[in-house]
Amino acid sequence: MIDERIKQDLIQIVGQQNYTDNLIDMVSYSYDASEHRARPSCAVWVENTAQVSEVMKLANREKIPVTPRGAGTGLSGLSVPAHAGIVMDLTRMNRILELRIEDRLAVVQPGLIYADLEKALAPHGFFFPPDPSSGKVCTMGGTVGTNAGGVKGAKYGTTRDYVLGLEVVLADGRVMRTGGKTIKNVSGYDLTRLMVASEGTLGIVTEIALKINPKPTVTTTAMATFNDLEDAGRAVAEVMRSGILPSVLEILGRETILAINQNTDLNLPEVEALLLAETDGYTKEETDFQMDKVAEVFRRNNPGMVKLAASQGEAADLWKARKSAYAVLARIKTHFVLEDVTVPIGKVPALLKGIQAIAKKHDIQIATFGHAGDGNLHPQILYDGYDPEQVKKMEAASDELFKLAISLEGTLTGEHGIGLSKAAYMTLEHDAVSLDMMRTIKRAFDPNNILNPGKMALDAA
Amino acid sequence: MEAKYDFERKYREQILLCSRCGFCQAVCPVYGATLRPGLNARGKMLLLKEVMDGRIDLSDELIETLFQCTTCASCTHNCPSGVPVPEIIKAARKDMVAIGSCHPAFKGMNEVLKKHTNIYAEDEAEDFGRQKKPAAKYVFFAGCVGLYRENDATEAALAVLDKLNVDYTLIEEVCCAGVLEDVGFALNDALVQTNIDRILATGAEAVITGCPYCARTLNNKMQYAPLRAKGVIIMHIAQFLKDYDLGVHTDKKVTYHDPCDLGRHCGIYEEPRQTIRKLAPNFVELAHHHADALCCGAGGGVRGAYAKNSIDMARRRLKEVEEIGAEVVLTECNSCVHNLGNAKLRKQKFTICTTTQFIHDLMEETD
Repeated sequence: MIDERIKQDLIQIVGQQNYTDNLIDMVSYSYDASEHRARPSCAVWVENTAQVSEVMKLANREKIPVTPRGAGTGLSGLSVPAHAGIVMDLTRMNRILELRIEDRLAVVQPGLIYADLEKALAPHGFFFPPDPSSGKVCTMGGTVGTNAGGVKGAKYGTTRDYVLGLEVVLADGRVMRTGGKTIKNVSGYDLTRLMVASEGTLGIVTEIALKINPKPTVTTTAMATFNDLEDAGRAVAEVMRSGILPSVLEILGRETILAINQNTDLNLPEVEALLLAETDGYTKEETDFQMDKVAEVFRRNNPGMVKLAASQGEAADLWKARKSAYAVLARIKTHFVLEDVTVPIGKVPALLKGIQAIAKKHDIQIATFGHAGDGNLHPQILYDGYDPEQVKKMEAASDELFKLAISLEGTLTGEHGIGLSKAAYMTLEHDAVSLDMMRTIKRAFDPNNILNPGKMALDAA
Repeated sequence: MEAKYDFERKYREQILLCSRCGFCQAVCPVYGATLRPGLNARGKMLLLKEVMDGRIDLSDELIETLFQCTTCASCTHNCPSGVPVPEIIKAARKDMVAIGSCHPAFKGMNEVLKKHTNIYAEDEAEDFGRQKKPAAKYVFFAGCVGLYRENDATEAALAVLDKLNVDYTLIEEVCCAGVLEDVGFALNDALVQTNIDRILATGAEAVITGCPYCARTLNNKMQYAPLRAKGVIIMHIAQFLKDYDLGVHTDKKVTYHDPCDLGRHCGIYEEPRQTIRKLAPNFVELAHHHADALCCGAGGGVRGAYAKNSIDMARRRLKEVEEIGAEVVLTECNSCVHNLGNAKLRKQKFTICTTTQFIHDLMEETD
């Protein structure tokens, strides 16, 4: 319950129509796409930077937690208000403020939906490459907050590589501008990069200046199957050595393939691993040339088969398998955890084998797919959340999975973020000195710990 | 634990399949108009999940979201987990009504249909200047909106049938009553029986309706099974007209709005387009079309209960018409025509009407 006086102050700032503590809103703001849940005391729909600033001043004065939120599609509990307080919904700040193609610049508000940016850029032949799979609904603020990535990570990087500057409201309500609107900028500390992936723990992003790219117009797609994970892994590593950088290089593991076959009529070969590659460019000669090299690598590594898509239609059919993975797996059990551990590309086969061993050991279903081209895999642990035994198994399997990734010189998370899900594992990846520095930075930005508290293990002493 | 409500007994597994990905937010018309996630399909599934988990209970506090769903099924169509949201919502509404938590507009609708033959409580039915024949090959079933609100559209449809020398008759029809099940009540048996008796009395082999919702009700509801058992075919007028050579033509830029009830719910997308393309070579699709079409905002009782949001949903659709610069928007549902017409701004100069109305007007011009 929110204190009546604070409620009135909030209404004063955002207006009656933009304040809510209705049950239906409080329940919906208790969740994101993860398994976490925590109910806020109230929520505000902010419309401009000034309102964000005033809300923060009030929250800071009264020491009330504020959890910023976009579309709530996160998979780690980033926008779940772990310490209750105010949920700040930024989806109504959804405008494109500037589009300057010659400057390769788009300035947007945090509530803008990724797909709407894509739609605005398309007529100019440009795009914003990170391409998260939740793109038709996720917001740019969330994209920045998690440093979102997607299938094009290997060639095009992640959100971080495109953020030029930000407007950020700090915990005390002051408004800070970072970076700028130029492609190059080495002026002062890189506060922009510090904010990207900070999960709303350092400030509330209210404006984003993005670098945009010209969009290649031609692609070539191919698929290869492998009966041995080692072969698939070697193929991936060799592609990376070949001098060709595919725009997409995805992998589907056996469990995922079986699940797809059981639930669709795609009839995929039931092999250990399936690789899907795409090359992009501006002429067919160019993309075919690249793909020939990739296919050559595939053929050298004992594939079951290598298939080049002869047409756009055939390419779309090949992608259907990858695109259906999430939906198919989501239907198998009532609950799942979708992880995003990432390892150096050469260690992808070891990670895949390790995941299989973990699934066997704990007698739990783990289906894996992901971005082989950047070492970022998505083991999806399927379980029944109403069965305490299965929950225990899921937790034990997650635990081992994180340890495995770290032992392979990897990271807990390649694109989903730490949030609540992985907060307990921060010490596994970060040494005491670096955690201490993170906490020092957090205190400098947010001495009262009101910004998205409970996340990233920053509150721990 | 024993389930407390029917919606849980019927749909527990499906509700649990919702993985909270939020992809429905991209397509839910109520969310689109309000940007309020508590009103989105995911928000609704989360509430019902909390009810099942015993964290909250059904109550008046949930009316605003559970009764504010147009049942357009965009969410289901886009759901990676295939959650049948409209069916779940309808079941939950029944439980809400059972505990006395119901939107007054819907309670009123149920009361009206106990006393009257139509949802508008109108006493005088339009006869469109046509004698009711004792027997005919077809029955034309207009539906409440077609009889009492969009009379011109019905008049036009009948005139087109006349022109094509179709052997049809009107009947003393009453509300198909399908809407009652959508808003938490049961189909009114007396109304259903009246329709069945009067249709069968004509010996008609098929019912043609101008209302896709009536078509769905007559085709799918168990209570109308006796009609189907007698071999009576129920079709929408778009299906009936598709093979006719109508002999009319327009150079205008024409677009088509897929009604949810005909499109996503019945899978009828091509028949209307087949007819429209023949008469309007300058046909363009809206940004969202076929299974991705945006809802006009009228369905599921939302127009009556949440008029402002309903109009906002229609405005979003009309903005798409503006974007492609169409001069005419055709659709196959009187309810869509009604809501889109109410939402149209003065600066929007395009015409909104049913396909049959448009055909009729072109026929008049040709004559």
